Amino acid sequence: MQSFDEVVAAPAPVARPGLRWLLLPLVILAGMGLSVEAGLLGPLGEQVGHLWATLSIFGVGSAILFLLLLFAGPQKGPALTDLPRWQLIGGFLGPVYVVGLTLATPHIGIAMTMIAILSGQVGKSVLIDHFGWFGATRKKVNGERWLALGLIVAALVLIARG
Amino acid sequence: MLLAVVVLAGAVLSVQAAINGRLGETVGVLRSSLLTFAVGAVSTGLLILFFEPAQAVSLLEVPKWQLTGALFGVVYMMVMVGAVPRVGTAVATVAVIVGQLGMGMLIDNFGWLGNPAIELSGARILAMACLGLALVFMYRSSARQAD
Repeated sequence: MQSFDEVVAAPAPVARPGLRWLLLPLVILAGMGLSVEAGLLGPLGEQVGHLWATLSIFGVGSAILFLLLLFAGPQKGPALTDLPRWQLIGGFLGPVYVVGLTLATPHIGIAMTMIAILSGQVGKSVLIDHFGWFGATRKKVNGERWLALGLIVAALVLIARG
Repeated sequence: MLLAVVVLAGAVLSVQAAINGRLGETVGVLRSSLLTFAVGAVSTGLLILFFEPAQAVSLLEVPKWQLTGALFGVVYMMVMVGAVPRVGTAVATVAVIVGQLGMGMLIDNFGWLGNPAIELSGARILAMACLGLALVFMYRSSARQAD
């Protein structure tokens, strides 16, 4: 699960150019994996139910991460129980996304589902900046970002029609 | 209608990424991911107990390869942790999107993994082109703000 928002805060890369181009195919492969994940979810949800398919993702993911963490040894930083509570609510939002994936992919396909997801991410960040929702500082959204949003709406209209 | 649900899911995902990004910085990506997955599993389990109607087929009866989805998610996470500091967030994000859409089109076009085959039409290619242009504009505008 990734967010397009991160592009907005793009830091300068630090690696040597050679290493950079070696890493790129790996990152592209990782992105392909996300589509494979979505491609597995849709048919699974049709058979066993969308919530069960979602549970398979979070259940298996939890188990693997738990094992990785166990063998990775002590972690830096404060204990989870010392954190502000609101930082822990991200976990409730994940299932919304996965259930959305299992519902949509059998009907609109994987590529189009991914475009719709990206639209939501980009649209959200543009609108939040422009209107200052959720206590964000209100920033003027420049012409290029409105143009981007317009293009994304156009892409969605094309999907909805096709 | 379904499209609106998915767009909303994308918006929710980026809210989650914002919260988790901060969490990952303080406690490390392994622990923040485990927390996200564990809370997700527990809340989905509760929803299943109270709201899910009985299904004819259970998770234990489907072919095992259908259950491997989570592996791709975890591998993705590890690759990003390793690659983002070296190639930069912008390049990594674009590479991920290229992989996602390319693979998505392949799966759709050939109906792999038990999905219905959806042929690559002119409208679908046009939609991709619009998204690609939108990403270019987003990137240019954020690069300008950073100056």
